[in-house]
This record gives sequence, C-alpha cells and structure tokens, in this order.
Amino acid sequence: MDSALIPEGAKRCPLPKFSIGIAIVSAVLLWGVYAMFLCWFKGLNQTNMNDYYGFALWIWADLAVIAVGGGAFFTGLLKYIFKIDELKNIINFAVIIGFICYSSALLILAIDIGQPLRGWFIFWHANVHSMLTEVAFCLSAYFAVLTIEFIPNILENRQANKVPFFHHLAHNMHGVMAIFAATGAFLSFFHQGSLGGVAGVMYGRPFAVREGLLVWPWTFFLFTWSAAAYGPCFTLLVTKTTEAITGKKLVKDNVIHLLAKISGWMIVTYIIAKIIDTAYWAMVTAPSLGFNLSHFYTDNSFYGYWMLITEIVICGVVPGAILITKSTRENPKLRLVAIILGTIGVCLNRWVMVLQIMAVPVMSFDTWALYIPSWQEIATTVLPVAYGVILIAFAYRYLPVFPQEQELNQVKPVTE
Amino acid sequence: MVQENHNSAYKFGMVIDLDKCTGCGSCMVSCMAENNVPFKEDETNKKDSITWMRVYKLTNDKPFPDTEVVYMPRPCQQCGGKGDHGHSPCVSVCPAVATDYGYDTGIVSQIYTRCFGCRYCMGACPYHARYFNWWDPKWPEGMEKYLSPNVSPRMRGVVEKCSFCYHRYQAARDKAYAHGNKDHIKEEDYQTACTTACPAGAIVFGDLNNPAHEVHQIVKPDPHPDPRNKHVAGKSRNPKIFRLLERLGTNPKVYYLSEREWVRKQGDNYLEGEWEKIKNHHGKASHG
Amino acid sequence: MKVDRRSFLGLGIGAVAGIAVSPMGMKLTDDSAIWTQNWPWTPVPVDGKVNYEKSVCSLCPGSCGISVRKIDNRPVKIEGLADHPVNDGGACLHGIAGLQYLYDPARIKTPLKKNGANFEKISWNDAIELVAEKLSNMREKGSPEKLACITDKEQGSVSGLFKRLLKTFGSPEFYTMPSLESYLEITASALHGKGKTIAFDLENASFVLSFGAGIIEGWGSPVSCFKANASRKTRHAQLYQIEPRLSNTAANADRWIPVKPGSEADLALGISSVILKNNLFDSNATSNFKGDLNKLAAVLQKDYSLAKTAKITGVKPDDIKKIATLFAKAEMPVAVFGKGRGDGAQSLKELAAVHTLNCLVGNINKKGGAFVKPNNQYLEFPDVAMDSIAKTGFGKNKTGKYVNQFFEEVNRSSQSLIEALFIYNANPCYTLHDTKKIKKALDKIPFIVSFSSFLDETAMEADVILPSHTFMERFEDVPSSGGLVKTVVGLTRPVIRPLFNTKTPGDSLILIAKALKGNIAKSFPWTTYDKCLESLTSRIWNSLSEDGFAVLSNGMPGDSQPVDVSFLAKNPASLKAQGNYDLTLIPIDNMRLMSAATASSPFAVKTVSDSVLKGKDIVVEINPLTAKGLKNRGFAVLTTPMGKTRVKVNINEGMMPGVIGMVTGLGHTFDNKYVSNKGVNINDLIGQVIEPDSGLDAAFGIKASISKA
Ligand SMILES: Nc1nc2c(c(=O)[nH]1)N[C@H]1C(S)=C(S)[C@@H](COP(=O)(O)OP(=O)(O)OC[C@H]3O[C@@H](n4cnc5c(=O)[nH]c(N)nc54)[C@H](O)[C@@H]3O)O[C@H]1N2
Ligand SMILES: Nc1nc2c(c(=O)[nH]1)N[C@H]1C(S)=C(S)[C@@H](COP(=O)(O)OP(=O)(O)OC[C@H]3O[C@@H](n4cnc5c(=O)[nH]c(N)nc54)[C@H](O)[C@@H]3O)O[C@H]1N2
Ligand code: SF4
Ligand code: SF4
Ligand code: SF4
Ligand code: SF4
Ligand code: SF4
Repeated sequence: MDSALIPEGAKRCPLPKFSIGIAIVSAVLLWGVYAMFLCWFKGLNQTNMNDYYGFALWIWADLAVIAVGGGAFFTGLLKYIFKIDELKNIINFAVIIGFICYSSALLILAIDIGQPLRGWFIFWHANVHSMLTEVAFCLSAYFAVLTIEFIPNILENRQANKVPFFHHLAHNMHGVMAIFAATGAFLSFFHQGSLGGVAGVMYGRPFAVREGLLVWPWTFFLFTWSAAAYGPCFTLLVTKTTEAITGKKLVKDNVIHLLAKISGWMIVTYIIAKIIDTAYWAMVTAPSLGFNLSHFYTDNSFYGYWMLITEIVICGVVPGAILITKSTRENPKLRLVAIILGTIGVCLNRWVMVLQIMAVPVMSFDTWALYIPSWQEIATTVLPVAYGVILIAFAYRYLPVFPQEQELNQVKPVTE
Repeated sequence: MVQENHNSAYKFGMVIDLDKCTGCGSCMVSCMAENNVPFKEDETNKKDSITWMRVYKLTNDKPFPDTEVVYMPRPCQQCGGKGDHGHSPCVSVCPAVATDYGYDTGIVSQIYTRCFGCRYCMGACPYHARYFNWWDPKWPEGMEKYLSPNVSPRMRGVVEKCSFCYHRYQAARDKAYAHGNKDHIKEEDYQTACTTACPAGAIVFGDLNNPAHEVHQIVKPDPHPDPRNKHVAGKSRNPKIFRLLERLGTNPKVYYLSEREWVRKQGDNYLEGEWEKIKNHHGKASHG
Repeated sequence: MKVDRRSFLGLGIGAVAGIAVSPMGMKLTDDSAIWTQNWPWTPVPVDGKVNYEKSVCSLCPGSCGISVRKIDNRPVKIEGLADHPVNDGGACLHGIAGLQYLYDPARIKTPLKKNGANFEKISWNDAIELVAEKLSNMREKGSPEKLACITDKEQGSVSGLFKRLLKTFGSPEFYTMPSLESYLEITASALHGKGKTIAFDLENASFVLSFGAGIIEGWGSPVSCFKANASRKTRHAQLYQIEPRLSNTAANADRWIPVKPGSEADLALGISSVILKNNLFDSNATSNFKGDLNKLAAVLQKDYSLAKTAKITGVKPDDIKKIATLFAKAEMPVAVFGKGRGDGAQSLKELAAVHTLNCLVGNINKKGGAFVKPNNQYLEFPDVAMDSIAKTGFGKNKTGKYVNQFFEEVNRSSQSLIEALFIYNANPCYTLHDTKKIKKALDKIPFIVSFSSFLDETAMEADVILPSHTFMERFEDVPSSGGLVKTVVGLTRPVIRPLFNTKTPGDSLILIAKALKGNIAKSFPWTTYDKCLESLTSRIWNSLSEDGFAVLSNGMPGDSQPVDVSFLAKNPASLKAQGNYDLTLIPIDNMRLMSAATASSPFAVKTVSDSVLKGKDIVVEINPLTAKGLKNRGFAVLTTPMGKTRVKVNINEGMMPGVIGMVTGLGHTFDNKYVSNKGVNINDLIGQVIEPDSGLDAAFGIKASISKA
C-alpha cells in the first residue's frame, strides 16, 4: 500500500501491523498532549512542583534527553571534522535521535515556563550573565542545525528524491554538511556546557556550586564531556533496540565497535575528571561553606550515598572499563550492559544536578524537600518518548536511514 | 546594568531583633495586605504558600524542659551578591532581566510583566524568598476592592518576592523631590510595611550607608571585605549580629540580632568545631 | 485554476514563510505577550487620591488605634495608629487583616428569618415588627424575665443599651461572655470589693511572674503587651513564665517553669507560703489585709509546704523557693494571672491565689505593680422608665450567675425558662465548653435574635438575624480593657459606607424599643444611635471625636486597697480535670488565631504553621515521652470523655510529658472556605467543670488518651 514510499529494496512490515503499533504509541502520545494542554491552559498548578521544587521531573527529562542526544553532535564531529568515515553508517540515525531529543527539549521548555507566551523574552530581554540565556540561544540554534542535518535524509525518501530539485538539494547539502556539523559541535559544546553551568553558578546552593575557569564552573565542561561520552551509548542503545524490534542487523559491527570504543575512552576520561571534581567539591568547596559531604546524603528518605556510587562507579567506571577493553567491548552482551549503564549514568547525573539540588536544605533550620510528580508531569515527560518512537518508526520505514541495511539483509524474493 | 558607585547610593537594609520578635505574624499579614498578596483555600502546604515575609520557628533541639524556641522573620534578603557587587544569586541567573539589582537602592526588583516563569531564580535563592504564582490570584467576591493600586496584583505563572515595599521608596523619593532634596530621603519617610506593623518593634529599617540611621548604628557594617572570605562585605561589627548564610557570599542586607549563641549559630552552617573558632570573629574594625 | 498537490504544497510553504518573515508574526507574538500582562481576570486596583482615617479596632478587647489608608472612598490598608495611648503604632495581624472582614463571604447582607432549616430574607421593617410582636406577647403574658441577652462585655454603650432594654422590658437576664475583663472584675471583687478592676503595669515591672498569661499570645490588650514585653530587653526586666507548655511567651521569657496543668493556683499558694514563712512579705502591705490573713497563713503552712507544693505542681522545691525569693525581693514585681489569652475558663482560686502574691509583696497601686482601680465609667445614661411589669420581672433572680450556669440551667429545666434571647457579639456555640450542650440549650429557647455581622455557629441557631455593620462601617465607643494600666475610650468610626443592608446594633435596639412603645420607647428617646452615643459620652465627646480617643485616667491610682483573703482562707479545693484517662488535653492560645466571637481572617489562617494545621487536620502537640508509638506528623485518635477526633501529631519537646496541647480557634463550621472546616474546635472536646465556690466554668482541660489512627 505504502510501498511506493518505502526505500527501494528494503523490507518493511505490512502497513496494518505498522499502523497498529503506531496507534498504540499514539495513544500514549495523546495522553501526554492532553497533560500538556492542561498545563498550558490551567497553569503549572497541574504539577506537584512547588516553591522549593521549582525545577522538577520534566526538567530532568529535558536535561537527560539533551545529554543523550549529545550522540548527534559528537558523532557528527567525529565523522565530518575528524573524518572517521565508518561513522557515516550511523550518522543519519544519530542525527534523527538528536533531532528528537532537541525538539523534545524545546517542547518541554515551552511547557515548563509559567508564561509560555512570553517565552521569547529570553531572547528579547536577554541577560548575558545568565546561563539559561546561553542555553536558550545555543539550544535553538543547534536545533536549527539538526533540522538542517536531518533534511537531506528526508529528501532521500524515494518519492521526494524523484523531484530533481530535492535530489540536488540533498546532494549539495551533504556536501556542505561538514560546516553544519562544525557549527553544531560548537553550539552543542556551549549549550551542553551552559546546562551544566546552570547548576554550577548557583552559589547559593552548596550542593550545586563549583569553582571553574573564567565565567564557567567545572560543571560546564563536565556536562559537555559527559554528553559526548554517554551520547554515543544512547545512539548505540537505540540502534540495538531498533535492530531488536525490526529483527534486522542495521549497522555493521565494526562501526558499532568503533563508536563503542570512542565512547568508552570518553567515559573513562570523563569519569576521572568527574571523580576529581567530586572529590575537590566534597573536600574543599563544600567544607569551605560549612558543609560536610554527609549533609547531602543523609537525613532523608531518598538521597543516599547509593546515588553517588551508582552514578560514578556502577554507571561510570564500569561501562567505561567494559568499553575500552576490546574483549568485553566486542562481547555483545557485555556491550549492551555497558551502554545501558552508561545511559542510566548520564541520566542519573542530570537528576542529581537538577533534583537533588532542590531537595538539599541550605539554611541550617530548613528541612529536606522531596516531591512526587503528578500524573500530568509524568504524562508530559513520557510524551517525548512516544513522539520519539513514532518519529523513528516513520524514519526507519520511509527513509534510507541505515546505509548498510541492504547489504546486511540480502533481499530474498519478496512475495507480496 | 550600569554599575554606579555603590557607596554614594542608598543601601537599604534591615536588622531584626530576634529576642524581641514574638512570632506574632503581624509582619507577615502587613506585608500581604500592603502588597496585594493573594490567599487560597488551603495554605498549609508552606511550600506553595506565598508569604514574602515568612516567620521561621527555630529550636535549640534540647529535650524538655531545656527546649528553647526563637522566631526568625525572613523577608527577601536583598542580596548584594559576591563582594556586594550587585550579582545577587537570583539576579545573576534570570535570563530575561526580570529581576534586577538597583545600584541606587540596593534593592532587588522583580518585574512581573517581564518574568516568564522559568523559576531559575527560585532555584538560585537559598533563602526560599521567591514564590511562584502556581495559581491565578482570586479574591472572594467583592474583596478585590481592598487591593492597593500601589502594587500590581501578579498574574499566574510569574515569580514574586519581597520588594522592601519599593512603592514606599518611590513615594518617599517623590516627597523628597517635592521638597527639592531629591538625594535625601528621610529615615521616617521610607519604612517598610512589616517594620511599621511590628508590635514588638523588632524590625529596624533604613539606609545602611547612612551613619545617622538607626539601622547603621545597630549594625555598624564593616566597610572592608571580610579578610577570611573575600566575597563577604558589610559584615556587622556587632558581635551579636549575624546574617543568614553569610559564608556563601550572598551579602544579604537583612541582619539579625540575638543574645542567644545557639540562635546565631543557626544562621549559617559550620563544620564540627568551626563555630567555636570563628564565633567571635567580626568585622576587622571591631578590633580597633 | 487547478490546485494540484505540488502547488498546494508550495502555497502552504509560502504562507508559512510569509507569515514568519512578515511583521504579522512578530506582531502576534508581541500581542499575545501583552495579553498575558493584562489578563482580564487578574484584577487591576483602581487608583485615586490617598487619604487616611483614624479609627479604633474592635476585633478584640485590645482597642488599638488604627489608621486606615484609603484610595478615594475605598479602604485599602489598616495600620496601627502612631501616638495612640493604647498601641502607639503597631497592630496585630488580625487588626491589619481587618478589611477582610468587610468582604467576608460569611457576612450577613440583609435581615434574615428562619424558615424551617433555612433562612429567608426579610425587610428591616418586618424583622423589627416580628421581634416586637414576640416580645410584646411575653410582656402581655407577664413574663418579661423570660427575655435574656448575651453580649461580649459589660462596658460600652451598645452593651449599655442592651442592658437598658432588658431593664425597661423587665428582665434581669443579662449575661456577658467570659473575658479577661470579667475575670479581672471577679478577682477584684473577691479581694478588694465591688466595682473595681485590676491592671498590671507590665511596662514598668522589673520582675513579671506570669501564671500562664500569654503576654505575647493575645492576653490583655495584645499590642500594648507586645510593646511592654519588648521593652524588657532595654529595661533589663525579667519574665518568668509558668505553664505546662513552651508557649511563645515562655520561649521569650527569661525562664520557663513547666507546671502540671491545673496546679497553677497551688504553685501560687506554695510561693505565698514561702513568702509568709520566710518573712519576705511587705509588712506595710499586710496591714491592708482585713482579717483572715492568719487563717490563710495557717492553711498555707499546713497544705502548701514546699514538699507538698512540689508534689502537686511538679516544680522542684528549690525552684519554688527561688521564685518566691526573686519575686519578693524584686524592686517592682508583679504576678499576672489569666492563662492563655485570659478569656478561657479560669478558676477563682487560681486568680485569687496569684493576685494574693501581689497583695503580699505590697505592689498594689505602685509603679510596676498591680493597679486596683474603679471600673471604667464614662457613659451618662438618663433614667430608665419602668412599669410594674418591668419592675416585677427585673426584680426576679437571674437563672445563673454566669453565662455557663445560665446554659446549664436552661438545659436542666424541664420548663421553658427562657422564651427569647438576644445575642450580640458572642458566639457561645463555638467558644464555650461542650458546644453540643450549648446548642441543645439554644434549641430549647423558642425565639433567638442575633445581631451578628457574620453567619457564624450561633447566628445559625437564630430565628431572626438583625445584621450589624462591621466596626469599619459604624460609630461606637470602645473602652479599653484587658488589664490596661491607662483607662482609655476610643471611638470606632465608619471608614466606608455600609456595604450591605445592615445597621448599627444600637439603631436596631432603638427601633425595637420604639416598636415596643410605652415606657420602653420612652427609655430610648434617641432618633439614632449616633446621636445617642454623642449624648451618652457628652463629657468626653470633644476629645473622642477630635482625637479618636479620650484618656480617662493615665497614671496609677493613689489609694491603698483593702485586701480580703477569706475566700482562699476557706481553702477551696483545686479542681480536677474531668475523666479517667492518663493524659490531659489543654487548650493552646495562638496569637495567629482568633478564638473569640470574631473568627480569624483568611490572612491570619494563612500564617498558621503547618505544625498547627495541616490540610484540614488539626495538629496536637505532645512530648516524645508521651507519644509512645506515635509518628511525628502521623495520624492519631484523640479521645476525651466528650468524644473522639482524628488529629495529627506534632512531637515536641516544648510540651510537658503527660499533656496534649490543642490550639483554640480552629474547627469553625460556617460558610467561609478560607477559615472554616479546618481542624476541630477544642471546645467540642472539653466539658464544663463548674467551680463550686465561684460558679465559674474552671475546666482547664480534660483527661484524654491518644492512640495511633
Ligand atoms: N508626577 C508624575 N507622575 C508620573 C509621571 C510624571 O510625569 N509625573 N509619569 C508617569 C509615567 S509616564 C510613568 S512610566 C511612571 C513611571 O514611574 P515608575 O513606575 O515609578 O517608574 P520609575 O520611576 O522609572 O521606577 C522604576 C524602578 O522600579 C523598579 N522596579 C520596577 N519593577 C519593579 C518591581 O516589580 N518591583 C520592585 N520592587 N521594583 C520594581 C526598578 O528597579 C526601577 O528602579 O510614572 C508616572 N507617574
Ligand atoms: N530621566 C528619566 N527619563 C525618562 C523617564 C524617567 O523615569 N527618567 N521616563 C521615561 C518615560 S517612561 C516617559 S513616558 C517619558 C515621558 O516624557 P515626555 O513624553 O517628555 O513627558 P513629559 O515631559 O511629562 O511631558 C511632555 C510635554 O507635554 C506637555 N503637555 C502637557 N499636556 C499637553 C497637551 O495637551 N498638549 C500638548 N501639545 N502638550 C502637552 C507638557 O507641558 C510637557 O512639556 O520620559 C522618559 N524619560
Ligand atoms: S511582627 Fe515583629 S514580633 Fe511579630 S513576628 Fe514579625 S518581627 Fe516578630
Ligand atoms: S534573598 Fe533570594 S530572592 Fe532575595 S536577593 Fe537574595 S537570592 Fe535574591
Ligand atoms: S522566573 Fe522570572 S524572574 Fe525568575 S529567573 Fe525566570 S524570568 Fe527571571
Ligand atoms: S519589606 Fe515590604 S515587601 Fe518586604 S517583607 Fe516587609 S512588608 Fe513585605
Ligand atoms: S490587638 Fe485587638 S484591637 Fe489591637 S489590632 Fe489586634 S485585634 Fe485589633
């Protein structure tokens, strides 16, 4: 039925089956959309956020998707700037994942602010001292870049590509993509960093504050680094998942191994920096403000040392070690474990840098503030996931996302 | 943000005598009535209850019958930021300049029509002095008639906080202008609504830069930065006076006074044994 | 024109691009932001000319001077009035929130008549006629004494007019609600003779020994007390606070002396015992004691030895001795009575025992001591005309000495003792112990007329409501009370034209009197209450109308006062709390909550801590030793002989073990969602315990148990 749109020679499941899958995910999407409209029309009282928890679940999701979406800029950087050519076989997918992550992030920001219709004030009345201003500018600009990076892939759709203009446009865009990739990498570097800066500059919050370089607290660099390190884990994880769902091998092992290896070394270097940062903060910064490390991890029912250990050791050191070691990296099971742990690790880091900051009491007579999200927050947080699944499903079905797909799946005579 | 010479301007501040404070709540209500603060059916979730002035209850945590209690009124601390240069924790993070530092007054403003509700400032403020309008403000039928035209009611979705009753400053400034002395606002002409309401006289308000003002005389702010912490300026030379979280370098303009050591200690966080070492350290001019 | 897919696509893309680059997009974006800045549902207060008006707050007996800021004719803020003799500038949170009462959702907007379970609106004419008809019938039947009246206080022209109406009508049944003022008079009457009251010179005292008086919890004239307390720091005066709980007053005091609930009188007597035994008393002062001092001394030596007192009160013998010595040797000591706000249940034994301390150390009518002075007299009423029905009726005995006894008798009697009841500025269905019983008594009274401004718990029981203006809409004389050293009368003035179809209570009474005709009408010769007020206060009217207040006496009374301790010398027994449970439930007066006829405002309720009220649940205070098995902030069931209720628990070291504290002023049930249906009314859980010798309800608490919910 829709075979005219499906990339030539590719095998896709029957349309009804596809439609049912999409319908199920769309139901989840609609639930999220409903919650989103509730937040817009009735206000943020639909959430369980409060004056202590001004940043909550979906801002964590926002930071997390940006972090894991970091696979796009980093893979782009490697492919176009460092000319690691194997990565062309996964770059399309990395870009799509990035596109999903960043469009979601922008959508979440639009839901999160109390006055969405004034959101543009952040550009119009920009305060250059604010990390959030930097985030807004870079995020929007990078989203534009990702869109540009995504367009050629869309134009390669079998029908679109028949239009000569689109065909040439796609071709020429590929030609200049290095420029966009460079721009994207630069922008990404800054907004990933400024997201880290958001926490690090809050010198009223001893849990968040970090010293740094010039106007940038260490968290600025750590965020960029961690996004570059863990982003590819997520790209690999989604690739693996897509392969599992479609039942096909889509990317060759050498590509996977290469990306995993790069990711592994990035994780290792990152985690060393993170450990140094944490140690310095715990032993110098916080004590200079009158806080023991234990202040941040005890006296409450949720945030314990387990969080710190999980983030740094289990989801940092362990995946790093697995991915830099050839034997473990090339073992599919262990590699899967590593990329899952890595993805969790970076999400956990973002959780800590958003939610735990809000929870820790600062005034000596204040108490821990814990919160439980409302269903509207959960629905709105799930919304981008559903949207991502749908977009990937459509992209996979109708666009030549994986250049190696045909080669890896020799087409047998089709009976239709 | 033009940085004028901070010292030639006003620097309005407060000192609250915690030994006099009774926890009566007049300051809270006076603030709400003065500044058109709304109320809702259930205000017992103190984490979403708008009280520009909030009175905290502090205890020494000793068992019966040695328990002691002190009340601590907490308006916005009107932080001068690190080194008192005007980069208050909240001001420096606001992406839209919806909250700003007044170099002429030392007052941190909040512009409701500019604020787009990102709440970054709330995260940055360690005093929880900022409140978000989670709901549309609503008054029972007819009650909106008591609203004051001096302060605009806030719409849903924006942040608000204590303004040191800025409209009272504006009125005093107008008065000074009318009397041809625009640079001299009289102490009695600009007093905040919480100060004038306090039945115990626990709050003293005025210009910290003006030696003729009572607040200056009580606080005796040290003009030099704290030698132990370059971010801290304007430390009190009165050993019974402290500021909240002074070590963070937020440089509040709200000072607290108490004879009780355990109260002063709760003003900040200290590692074990640290308090004993530094409790008697006050502005260096105090040695003279 | 053929619109194919491609041209359609082109058109769409073109339109989007066009809008994006044209100024229209920017304009729409800008407009939408401007719209959010001017949402029509966010009110914009109207500006106008600023002006200030002086008045007096009468939300509590404090009688503070207030300054009302207005924009044109619209009051926008109430603040304390500088240079006013009572409060000189400050105001309490209730007074500052005063404007909220004006627009209270529970306000009664027009006269109402009960029809079945509901009220229906009626005109003022019909309402007055209805009341006059019922009352006339009673006189025709020759039983005018079956008309009773309850108001908040004895003093002032409005109470005077109610009393006057009753007298010319022929009834002695005039009652006031318990108040600190009434206890001061009862105490003065018991120790010094009738027509007197007591004041405490807290501003000057160098040592204040407070037996639970909530000096910063709303006791007396609250703002004046706050100021006196704050000045202690500069005067280096001391405050010792005796009570089972670390109240704000105790926290602010130099020392808190926890005492077993209900044993305050015993502690006072124990201290007297030390003073007498160790010759610490002032021998000049004891010469004023008329008889019975020796008898009292004998009783004290026998029953109030250090050891015995310590056992009863839980205060260590050494502490008792120390307190006695400090108190007796202080330059200007004063002992203060009236637990909490001083308007709850009190026993005469306690009041007298504490005041005896003042008498023993000779601080009566001395600077920094206790002043015994004549009652505030400033109204000049013309004579009342009484016919024979009135004279007979008025000459009969009152049903009860105090309002508690009145309700008890009404309940007890099988006949209809009372046929009509006027209630003004009182909410006995909420403020008296055992509210169920009070409601039952009201059910037995066939015709109740309420003059309330708000449809509160008691107004709900009325048959006719003649709604009053609030204090912001009317003139009224407000005599200072509550143990204030100065004797001041303030003038409440209308700061806004009445919002609704209400009247000044005085005008309602004048209308009723005129409708009753004859002698009664003759006794109310005034055309309006405002004219009446001016003539009653003619002596001080100039000062009242110009300054807003008149100071009747400023300093301390010069004379010495006779002291009669025969009441205590009889060694009256201390009362026990009702019931057999292990713990004792006591009321907590909290400055942020009103617990008298006037309920709290939404602002006041907003300030209440979440360790007092959480959601709709009241939180009780309990010591960790008593809270075995209970979780902090967890639910529990509190049981007293009067009933059970679900509460939350605040485990708190500031509460004496064995005691449970519950705040007063919550649990209202009328129609104001910001104030009502929050927590429980402690008066539902405590029953009356009448002190046999005085007739006062002296229930300081009740036995209780608490267990996990
Ligand atoms: N007599 C007279 N009266 C006038 C006018 C006149 O010409 N003559 N002009 C009128 C006109 S056109 C205007 S625009 C107005 C301007 O009058 P105002 O509104 O009084 O404006 P400014 O005098 O500029 O004061 C602005 C200051 O307010 C602070 N501020 C701004 N927003 C907030 C806030 O939300 N909270 C607090 N605390 N501070 C805030 C800023 O820090 C800034 O320093 O005056 C009007 N009134
Ligand atoms: N330093 C400083 N500068 C400011 C401001 C500030 O706060 N401080 N505020 C800014 C703001 S918000 C504003 S709105 C502007 C206002 O600044 P302007 O628009 O300059 O307003 P004014 O100076 O108050 O009045 C303008 C002139 O109009 C004249 N006028 C009055 N009525 C009429 C009339 O009916 N017809 C005609 N033709 N003329 C009339 C007056 O006499 C006066 O000369 O100033 C801006 N500039
Ligand atoms: S009004 Fe004064 S005494 Fe009352 S709580 Fe506020 S500061 Fe304390
Ligand atoms: S107290 Fe908070 S809101 Fe006020 S200036 Fe300081 S950081 Fe900003
Ligand atoms: S919430 Fe408003 S004031 Fe606060 S940072 Fe955001 S825009 Fe600025
Ligand atoms: S200074 Fe004004 S705005 Fe601030 S707390 Fe006091 S009354 Fe409220
Ligand atoms: S103390 Fe009483 S009279 Fe004074 S302001 Fe408060 S409520 Fe009014």
